[in-house]
Amino acid sequence: MAREFKLPDVGEGVAEGELVRWLVDEGDAVSEDQPVAEVETDKAQVEVPAPVDGTVRTLHWDEGDVVPVGDVFVTFDVEGEPVEEETAAETEAAAEAETASDAEAAAGGGAAAETESTRTFAPPSVRRLARELDVNLDAVEGTGPSGRVTEGDVRAAAESEAGEPAAEPAAATAETTTEPAAEPAAESAAVQPGGQEPAGRDQTLAAPATRGLARELGVDIDDVPAVEEREGEAFVTAEAVQEYAEGGVAAQGEAPTAGAPEREFVEGGETTEPYRGIRRTIGEQMAESKYTAPHVTHHDTAVIDDLVATREKLKERAAEQDVKLTYLPFVMKAAVAGLKEYPIVNSELREADDEIALKQDYNVGVAVATDHGLMVPVVKHVDQKSILQVARDVNELAAKARDRSISREEMQGGTFTITNFGAVGGEYATPVINYPETAILGLGAIDERPVAEDGEVRAAKTLPLSLSIDHRVIDGAEAAEFTNYVMERLTDPELLLLE
Amino acid sequence: MVVGDVSTGTDLAVVGGGPGGYVAAIRAGQLGLDVTLVEMDAYGGTCLNYGCIPSKAMITATDVAHEAGHAEDMGVYADPEVDVAEMVDWKDGVVDQLTGGVEKLCKANGVNLMEGRAEFAGNDKLRVVHGGEGQGSETITYEHCIVATGSRPIEVPGFDFGDDPVLDSRQALAMDELPESIVVVGAGYIGMELSTVFAKLDVDVTVVEMLDSVLPAYENDLARPVKQRAEELGIDFHFGLAADHWEESGDGIVVAAEDEDGDVREFDTDKVLVAVGREPVTDTLNLDAVDLEPNDDGRLETDTQARTSVENVFAIGDVAPGPMLAHKASKEGQVAAEVIAGEPAALDYQAVPAAVFTDPEIATVGLSEDAAADEGFDPVVGKFPFNASGRALTTGHADGFVRVVADDDSGFLLGAQIVGPEASELVAELGLAIEMGATLEDVASTIHTHPTLAESTMEACEHALGHAIHTLNR
Repeated sequence: MAREFKLPDVGEGVAEGELVRWLVDEGDAVSEDQPVAEVETDKAQVEVPAPVDGTVRTLHWDEGDVVPVGDVFVTFDVEGEPVEEETAAETEAAAEAETASDAEAAAGGGAAAETESTRTFAPPSVRRLARELDVNLDAVEGTGPSGRVTEGDVRAAAESEAGEPAAEPAAATAETTTEPAAEPAAESAAVQPGGQEPAGRDQTLAAPATRGLARELGVDIDDVPAVEEREGEAFVTAEAVQEYAEGGVAAQGEAPTAGAPEREFVEGGETTEPYRGIRRTIGEQMAESKYTAPHVTHHDTAVIDDLVATREKLKERAAEQDVKLTYLPFVMKAAVAGLKEYPIVNSELREADDEIALKQDYNVGVAVATDHGLMVPVVKHVDQKSILQVARDVNELAAKARDRSISREEMQGGTFTITNFGAVGGEYATPVINYPETAILGLGAIDERPVAEDGEVRAAKTLPLSLSIDHRVIDGAEAAEFTNYVMERLTDPELLLLE
Repeated sequence: MVVGDVSTGTDLAVVGGGPGGYVAAIRAGQLGLDVTLVEMDAYGGTCLNYGCIPSKAMITATDVAHEAGHAEDMGVYADPEVDVAEMVDWKDGVVDQLTGGVEKLCKANGVNLMEGRAEFAGNDKLRVVHGGEGQGSETITYEHCIVATGSRPIEVPGFDFGDDPVLDSRQALAMDELPESIVVVGAGYIGMELSTVFAKLDVDVTVVEMLDSVLPAYENDLARPVKQRAEELGIDFHFGLAADHWEESGDGIVVAAEDEDGDVREFDTDKVLVAVGREPVTDTLNLDAVDLEPNDDGRLETDTQARTSVENVFAIGDVAPGPMLAHKASKEGQVAAEVIAGEPAALDYQAVPAAVFTDPEIATVGLSEDAAADEGFDPVVGKFPFNASGRALTTGHADGFVRVVADDDSGFLLGAQIVGPEASELVAELGLAIEMGATLEDVASTIHTHPTLAESTMEACEHALGHAIHTLNR
């Protein structure tokens, strides 16, 4: 029998993933847990394993597609599965169709056993609303009691999805007989004078097959002129979609040449690469942080001769335990001491709730540059760990980030971030806050620099510090006091013994 | 009636007028579609005419007689006389009222009713053959079709429903006079419901079951009170026996059944009722013409919108996968009609309730404890016995219990199993709770009327939370 496999939540609370590439072809035999596709989510690339032994019947998406979690991903043919039990007992057991176990099978939808339940709890009215608004209920985070999905949750999800590719109802079935989307570019040569204006509605009634057709033809169903109204809503037929696709899209295809100014290319031209996946995630987060939080960066320099000596001494001891001891764990412990003294720096502003959350956890994110882009693994509960343990955690997480085996959980839950751009070089910077945190500490390169003391200038080991704060929450004085407190512990590392 | 082969066009053709088909037709009519409903026998289908409704009528009538005659401990002394022919007449009156209502509702919603047997004649055509000689046939051209042909009783080789002493459930509910004795083949829900009816009418009942228990599809602790009560009523059970054949013997017949080892047991009786299950009806549809093929179960595979592998053909009820239940068929019918009308409907219910109208009744909804664990939940269970319910004791029926299954972490209700008085009614509240995503706390905190059986549901939820008032906590 056919088994529809929906894209699982491959991270924690991931709503969609980009299909990087298929690892199998239609018709291939697969075994349970064999990877069938590579999918890239916000911050990690994962392999999606087959849930069963069987044969690949249909690969429902193309490489490069962004696939909503919970949408049918692959259809497998599975040799005689659960149905068998029923057929075996043709007579007696069939009599018991009206049974608990059957009713359960129907209710449970034969969900894969032995895994965490994936049921989404929501009242029928909310489930209906989700279908009306084309919201994938399984990807909505519920705010009701025990995480039940409420009407408000669905409406919020619908709003945030507007503009993004709508999550189509998972039920869309049978491939339509229409040819795959005629490439708009090719068709644009034959511009139809009667190209239709996009209607641009918020909501449209249409049969699922019509929605499927619109999707195939690359048409936004909300733009298709309605031929009739049903229950006060615009109703669109397959014919209207077809007509719009032929006329309307063609007209759109023509638009760039007619409307937008031609881009002038300098000699030598340019190459382009897609802005998506991790690059895009980084970009979006940076923009959100910078546009949301007014940044102010406080700069200072710690004289760390003693820390250099201490670390030199401890490095070998650490090496005996196979731990590479860098300065970072010392800075992390010093920073956490500062966070405890100045809790406002370990905070999050929840504007919607009119509250500032002061975090009781001291989870320090460490920005790591990787071949795939910037990643921020989080060392949890730094306050409860020894310097050696922190070092161990940092090394392990950084390695995982570099080879991309890091899990989403290991990059979540941070309360404060440290970025060590000095590893590459430089003194001061203006780090961008890892939003919604409210502060980030940037470390410059440790080097010998001139220091004036008691009327003398001497060469001392120094560590330049750049602390960016969200000025909505943290005042400049607090930033300076926090930095002083941290510096004191870097200058005199013995104080860390008290931590 | 139309004579000769004429053709009509329709937006939606519904094949079969049972609780799936007529509900689909009415909903489609409400949504403005031009609907044609084809029924070959009787509107309301098996459920209204030969199944759920007539059996419940007979169960209630025999309960009235039996209760009246067995209430000495309440100080009531009576010896009711039962006229079975009148009882059957009364039952037929109820059925007529309901089927007449279905016909009226269909017409009021603009549904075009057509009598006859429909088969596919292409991927947009049905051929409807009218009953009776010389009545001819006609063709319907449709945009969409809903197949709702239901199911029929499974025949056991050696027991032809055409033979006089061999009864199916439909015939058993329409007898003018009672036999002195009857052998019931099958201890599933139909067999057990009808065995109880006959036993309460003082017929000598022997049940022959191939598996090793009554209601083999239900959990043991649910089936146990039913078996116990059946034995009190004088029903004789024989398990592990497969009915083989029957033959005439003097005034009556002998039913022969074989055990695993091939040893034969014989039972002298007047009639034999065969109730071993039902099979979907797809063989009359000429499915080849529309490129559909039933699966190994004989059902038509469907998706979450009740759509078959053919884009414009839907299947609902007993011909679609899932439990053979009227209310499940109705739900699928509504969804199919709405989808065809372009609405964003889907079969996304959490649980399908089921009820067995034995004495005592059994009702279940959602997951059992084991099934919940299999689905990845961490189940917690709460139970309330009816012998701790004031209301149950005052009805004279205090066997059984209400059991609820919930997820321990979140408290979400996942399932319930009830055996006892009015279980079929009590399960509705839990169905609603599960569908709404209610937690144990939600139900436990809802004030329930005292004194009612429904309080037991609240108490079972409190028990799961560890603070039931009227029963000892875990």
